[in-house]
Parts: sequence; C-alpha cells; structure tokens
Amino acid sequence: MSAWRTLLHRIGYLSRQRRFEHQLDAELRFHIESRADELEQHGYSRSAAEARALAEFGSRTRVAEDARAAWQFRWIEDLVADINYALRTFRRYPAFAATAVACLALGIGANALIFSLVNAALLRPLPYPDADRIVMVRFTPPHQPDQKLGTNAGGYFFIREHSRVFERMGVLRITGFSVAVGESDSVAREWLQGGWASPGLTDVFNVQPVIGRWFRPDDTQTGVVISHGIWQRLFGGRPDVLGQTIRLDLWRGVVIGVAPEGYQTLTPDVDFWVQQPDQDLARALRSPNRLFNVFGRLRPGVTIEQAQAELRTLERPLGEYLPMNDGWALDVDSLREAYVGYLRQPVLVLQGAVFLLLLIACANVAGLLLAQALARQREIGVRAALGSARNRILRQLLTEHVLLSCAAGAVGFALAWLGLRTLVNTGLSAYRDLQNVTLDWTVVGFAILISGATALVFGILPALQLSRVDVVTVIRDAGRAATASPGRSRLRDGFVVMQVALALVLLVGTGLLVRSLLRLNAVHPGINPERLLAVQVPLPRALYANTGGNTPAGGLLVRFDTRFGDLTERMRDRFASVPGVRSVAATTPPPLGGRARRVLFRKVRSLSDDRDPWSSEWYAVTPDYFETVQTPVLQGRTFTKHDAQSSRPVVVINATLAAQYFPNESPLGRVVQTDVLDDAPREIVGVVGDVGQDRYQTSPAPQMYVPRRQLPYRMDMQMALEVLVSTFVVRIDIDPAALVSPLRDAVREIDPTLSVSSARTVEEYAAGQLQELSQYATVLGVFGALSVTLAVIGILGVMAQAVGNRTNEIAIRLALGAQASSMLGLLLGHGLKMIAAGIVLGLAASLMITPVIRSFLWSVTPTDTVTLTLVVGGLALVALLACYVPARRALKVTPVAALRGE
Amino acid sequence: MGKASSGELVQGTLPLLILRTLASGPNHGFAIARRIQQVSREVLRVEEGSLYPALHRLEVQGWIASEWRVTENNRTAKYYRLTRAGRTQLEREATRWNAIAEAIAAVLREA
Repeated sequence: MSAWRTLLHRIGYLSRQRRFEHQLDAELRFHIESRADELEQHGYSRSAAEARALAEFGSRTRVAEDARAAWQFRWIEDLVADINYALRTFRRYPAFAATAVACLALGIGANALIFSLVNAALLRPLPYPDADRIVMVRFTPPHQPDQKLGTNAGGYFFIREHSRVFERMGVLRITGFSVAVGESDSVAREWLQGGWASPGLTDVFNVQPVIGRWFRPDDTQTGVVISHGIWQRLFGGRPDVLGQTIRLDLWRGVVIGVAPEGYQTLTPDVDFWVQQPDQDLARALRSPNRLFNVFGRLRPGVTIEQAQAELRTLERPLGEYLPMNDGWALDVDSLREAYVGYLRQPVLVLQGAVFLLLLIACANVAGLLLAQALARQREIGVRAALGSARNRILRQLLTEHVLLSCAAGAVGFALAWLGLRTLVNTGLSAYRDLQNVTLDWTVVGFAILISGATALVFGILPALQLSRVDVVTVIRDAGRAATASPGRSRLRDGFVVMQVALALVLLVGTGLLVRSLLRLNAVHPGINPERLLAVQVPLPRALYANTGGNTPAGGLLVRFDTRFGDLTERMRDRFASVPGVRSVAATTPPPLGGRARRVLFRKVRSLSDDRDPWSSEWYAVTPDYFETVQTPVLQGRTFTKHDAQSSRPVVVINATLAAQYFPNESPLGRVVQTDVLDDAPREIVGVVGDVGQDRYQTSPAPQMYVPRRQLPYRMDMQMALEVLVSTFVVRIDIDPAALVSPLRDAVREIDPTLSVSSARTVEEYAAGQLQELSQYATVLGVFGALSVTLAVIGILGVMAQAVGNRTNEIAIRLALGAQASSMLGLLLGHGLKMIAAGIVLGLAASLMITPVIRSFLWSVTPTDTVTLTLVVGGLALVALLACYVPARRALKVTPVAALRGE
Repeated sequence: MGKASSGELVQGTLPLLILRTLASGPNHGFAIARRIQQVSREVLRVEEGSLYPALHRLEVQGWIASEWRVTENNRTAKYYRLTRAGRTQLEREATRWNAIAEAIAAVLREA
C-alpha cells in the first residue's frame, strides 16, 4: 500500500506546492517561537530569546529542503527548480545568454552540417544484402602506387579461375550510348552511360529489380534493365514499362527490369545495364585495355585482409601468364572504399576543422561564464551561506550550461539545415557520390551528443570555480564592486590564448588553400577560354567495323571508313553556319576538360638518338583548331584542308616539346614516329604555344597535334571509342546559352540518331578543374572567418573586463597627471601577451596539423612563409584592434564619473 | 547546528520514537521533541534538522496524519496523530527493536 500512497502523496504535493511551502514555514516558525517562549521563562528578554532560538535552530533552508524532499520526486523537483532558476538567470543576463547560445550554435551547427557529409559518404550502410562482403578488385600500375585502375579481360578470367575467396565475381564495363525510347526514329536522342554486366555481376550485388528480372544467359533479345531514375524520367514511372523498346545507338533493346532506387554500380550515373556474355570478354582475352571493373562477393567468413593476402600471391603468376600485367599490384577494397574512399580525407579534414571551431566556441563561452561568475559571485555566495550544499550549487550551474547548449543545439541544427540547403544549391551537385546528404536521425543524434558534450567542456571549469566561492570574502566585500580573483583571470586569459591559437590553425589551413588557388589561377591556360563552347557529339559506332582481329598489343582491332571524316566535316560546316558562330574546329577531349591520350614517340632518321621513346599528349584536330581556341603559332604553320589522307603526314608540336627534344635546332622539317598503330612517320610543320590541359600540372607537358583527316583507318577499339566522342570547339560572338539549342538542332538535322552529350563553355571546364579546391577553400574560409569572429568576441570580453576592473585606478592616475599613452600601453600590454602566446601556440599547432592538407596544395608547402606571415599579421592586427577599442574607451572616463560609479 | 555526541540517536530509531510518543496522543513537533528528551531523562536529544524531515516522511508514508490546531498560547501549530497503519507499524517496529535490544544485551552480558 505504501508505495501507492507515497506516489499519491507526492503527486498531490505537486499540485499544492505553494500552500505546502507556506505551511512548512509556519510549522518551523512555531517551533522557534515555542523555543523562545521556553527561553523567556528561563529569564531571557523576548528579543534575546528569539535570537537564541533562531540561532539554535540552525539552517532553516536545509531543514525545509529535507522536509520537502520527503514529498518530492526529488530529482524532477530539483530539475524543475534548477531550470526555473536558470531561466531567471538568463533573463537577468540576456546579452550573456544570447552571445553564448550564438557562439555554441555556430560550432554545433557547423559540426552537424559536416557530419551530415561524413554520414552520407562514410557511415550510411550501402543498400545491398551483406554489403560488407562486396569488394572491388583493382589494379595498381608499377611505380604509381596511388593509381587504382580496372582490369583487362585476361586478368579477370585469371583471378576468377585461381582465387578461392570469392563466392561470385563479375565485371562491369561502362560506355556511353545514344538512347531513345520507343520505335520512332524522330524521338530526340539522349547520351546516357550504360553498363555492360558480365554473368555473375548481378549475383555479386544480390539485389532484385523492383519490377521484372535481370538478364539470363539464354535471353534471345537484348534485355535492358533500367535505373530507377530513368524509369521515372523517360518512362514516367509507368508500371507497364516491361517490354518497351529502348534504342541504344543502332540497336533495339527491350526493357526487362527496373533496378531499385539507389542501386549503383561503380558510379551513380550508370543508367541502364545490358548483358555482356563471357564469350565477348574471351575475344578480348589478350587485350591490354583495362576496361573492366571487377566486383566480387566474398565467401562468408572471409575478410578483406584474407582476400587481399590471397590476391597478392596471384600477382606474379598473372604477370607471367599475361605480360601486360607484369608488375601490377592487385588491390581488394570494400565497395564503400572503392566508391567513396576518395572523399574520406576531405570530409574528415573538414570535420576536424569544425571540431576546432567548436572548441573555440567552447573556450569563448567558458570565458563568458567566468566573466559572468564575477557578477554572480555574491548571489552564489549568499546561497551557499544560506546552507545550499556545494554539489547542489554545482548541479544548478550545470543545469544552466546544459540548457544553454540545448538551445544552441536547436539553433545550430537549424543553421545546419540552412547551410546544407545552400551547399546543395551551390556546389554539392558536383559530387556525384554526395547526392543523398540529409539531416537524418543519425545526424540528429550526433548533434544531441555534441551539444551535451559541449556543455560539459565549456561548463565544468567555470562551474568548479564559481561553486568554490568563499562565503566570508563575499560577505565582507558586500557592497563593493567584485573583482576577479587572480586564478580566475588567468583561466580566462588562458581561454583567449586557446581561441587565438585555434583560430590561427584554421586560418593557416585556409590561407594555404587560397594561395594554391591564386597560383593556379595565375597560370595562363594557353588558350582563350572566353566565349568558347565545347560541344561533345559522340559519333555512332557504325562508323567502324569490327575486323575480328587483334592489334599487335592484343586489343580488338577495328576499321574506320571514310564516313567518319566526312561526318566530322559536315558537322563542322553545319555548326559554322549557325548565326553567332565565328569559327569551329573538332578535337578530343574538350580543351581544359578531361584527360588527353598519351603516346610514345621517337625521332626518325636521327643518328644520335638511341634513347627510350618519349611521351607526349596527343590530340587529333581539324584545321582552324588553333585559330579557334587562339593558341599562338610560334613557328611554321598549322593544318589546312590540304593535309588529307593522301598527302604527306604532318604534326604540330608545342613549345615545351620543341624545347625539350630539339634544344639546339629548329624542329621544323624533323620527322617523328609515334606508337599509334599504323601511324606513318610525320613531319613537324609547326610549333604552337603550351596548353595547360591539366591545370594541376606544375610544368607544361609535351603536346602534339595531328590532323583528323590523317588518322590511320585501323585502330585499337579503345582508341576508336575515344576518337568517336568528338568535341567541337565553337568560338562565338554572343551569349553561349543562346547558342546551345540551335547547335543541338543542327546536330539532329544532320543525323536524327546523334545526340549532344554535353555542351559547356571552356570556362566552365577550366573552373570545373579547380572546383573541388575552390569549394574546399570557401568552406574552410567560412569556418576560418567564424573562428576569428569568435576569438575577437572573446578578446573583447576579457579586455572589457580587465579594463573595467581598473577604471577607478586609471581615472585617478590620469587625474594625477599620468600620460594617456602610457596608460594605454599598460592596458594593451595585457592583450598583447595573450595574443602573442596564442600565435606562438597556434603556429606550433599549424605546423603539426597542416600537413594533412598537403595533397590539396599546389606549389605551396605547408610552411609557406608568405601565407604564414600574412595570416599571423592579419590575425594579430584584428586581435590588437579588439584590445584597443575597450582600452581606448576606459581612457575617456573622467575621475568623477568613475568614482560616482563606485 | 550543535553536535550532541552523547545523545545522538541510533540510526533509524527516530521514526520509532516519534510513533511511540504520538501513541499517547496527538502533538506538535516541538512538544514531540521535548517529550522524547524528558522521558529519556535528557539522554536523547532530537535535532530539529532531523525531526521535521522525519515527521514529513512518516506523513508521506501514511503512518501519521496532521491537522492545524490552536495551542493554549493562541498560536496555530501543526498537530500530528497516529493513524491505524501507524499503530500497526509501531507495534511491528517496537517488537523488532526490543528483540534487537535484548539480543545485544545478551551478547554484552555473556559473550
């Protein structure tokens, strides 16, 4: 019965709390008065008796607390009381509460935002059954340990045959297709990425289509499984999509299935899958081209390390079996690592940066709390004198801190939401693997966690300090303005030093990135990218025929016919006739976009030359190319219409190639031989300026250009596919956006089965290369600016207080004739010491931390003197200003005003 | 709060003493304390700091009940009285305490 009764009593108490307090007070008062009566009978005067009775009774507060406790769910009551008290405190110090919440909200918000990226990229489970058993096998070339490439067909068959760790294996080859839905030839084509899936690949992922089925080896027609996105976009999400015709280049396929949302093979932009039988792969058995991405499902219980160990033992036999794999390393990586491993370092560095920001915010709020402690010293002292236990006061203070950080957590989460929206709208779309960044429950949990942790970090030191208040001092000093104890001032100064140091670390990181960007932007690309459009038109594969044979290197050999050159010329001429177009040329790949093909070459008929072949970038272009992109011609001539199949083979080289390989002679008239199959020796007819195709190259690469009309007819299939994706560079007079649609129409006019796969300005390509770095620098820059703001707030607070404490002294000394400038020096000296200490600490920390961003830097070392000087100078200047303003104000106070304020 | 080392109550005996005192009739806190002191011939001193919390705990448990009455000095005081449950509790506790006390006495005598 007792438990129920107790509960009822306690609930009843909650509703009659005020009356209870009143009665408890009356009860205790009665006791004291009765005791006073007793003492009066023993001969005390009434007033003496009352005083003695009161003294004997001891702490009424504590008796009341204990009596009350009988009726209460103690901790809830305490909590409610503490929360009420805390809210009253915040109302009393609104500026403090607002500043603290704002600082913490910035720190927590930034952390939640970046954590949502970490969560999306590295934590959220991949949507496949037993996803941790799915791995990719990739090849690392000799002497290039940071490269991870696909496999050739032979390598795949060898691994499949000799390894024991995989339950299933499969390969995927990704190519572009000109796609149309339905039977009609008049439907506009669209360029999409498709995956050729070998048997076994679908078993590796082990995910069934949401509608229909995967392909079977005995399918008689070309079955196509489409992505969820394409189902929605091209088929309107219709349930009767199965059996629909889908045109891939010149083939006719039938939709047999729809993959579930989020199903991803290698990259998210693979939009459909078709079957590639093992017989096809077997024909390319000796091809060196690494077109295939190997996926495997590990047997149950096999770890990635075990799989890696087994594949290590296969490296040597594979090199002996197929010499083109000699010296290549085999790497086993989890699916996640293979998909988004490249994001790990950038997002973790960002997470580290926002963690520093949060630490700064904590130091800042801790400083504020210490300043506030001064004002609250008496209040706390009085509570302690009235008999509140120290741990009760501590709990009260911690409640305040938790409330602050809860409020900050809520505001911070809202900030993170806003920040994420901005990020998604501005730049995140460029990261194809960061398309599903959301503030899900994991992020919410993380925000709550760091809010709680934050409360402890910033609150514990000030709370311990404040609760240790000395009752006697407080009461003795009552009425006089409180001053900070030396220990507390030192602690506060320490927090400022920490803020300056941490802010410096963030600023140095940002500074190094910005300097890299400035350097990169200062490099002239070698072409004029303004008003230059790059329109990619993949030409149909029907322009070549499969010979059935192999190149000497083992690749599949294909034969082009004259239609290839004719079609290119026709399109070039048609583009040139579009109003607004000044000149047009074709090339591969887009200028400043994409990786150029590299070839090996030797000088021909040069007696002294017995060195290894040299390497150069290689471009196949039409006449007018150099005029169109405005690369200067330094010597000789460029191509004309007369450089055709029947005429003498020619080549144009760039200045770097000329300087490196013909240092003391004119290259004009010299003959070079490339390793391109069937390529004839070519005479150098011109030298042009260098082009920075890869903007991150620290020195210009050797480059050579050959006329498109003079390409050999027979090619390796891989090279044929590259050459077929032609880029038309279009120099225009008007707004590029206005021309995209007329150019698309022009393409369809020439051949309705052709499609424009992309139309972007060369400026976009140029910016795109630097996009990652510039976004990185921007985000870090925002955090750096926030950190400086916080540090300045911290310095202002400390200085204002330090100055405030000495207002009287200053005013009196000034009145007695002290120089204002020497007083200013005295005040600034304190600030200077803190700033100097912060900067020294910060520099030391930077030197330890900044090497983690070394891979993002371009011709800048982590110890770059210019950056360090500028950052230190700038921060010191801002910090000094933050010291100067409060000091200056103190000097303006007149002695009269100061003393009146006492 | 003064310390009364000689008269300090054995842990947990205060509720029993209060219940027993109230068995002789309703009374207020001050009188309960005085009565315990008198009956024990000033050996047992009841601290106000323990008395009132103990009274409130007993009330919450339902062993005593309270009402406000006017005293002979014309003051209002909170009077506590034993409930039926309190009487049962007193008997149970008194038996237990006597058993323990006898046991301790026996050990002191003979061990």
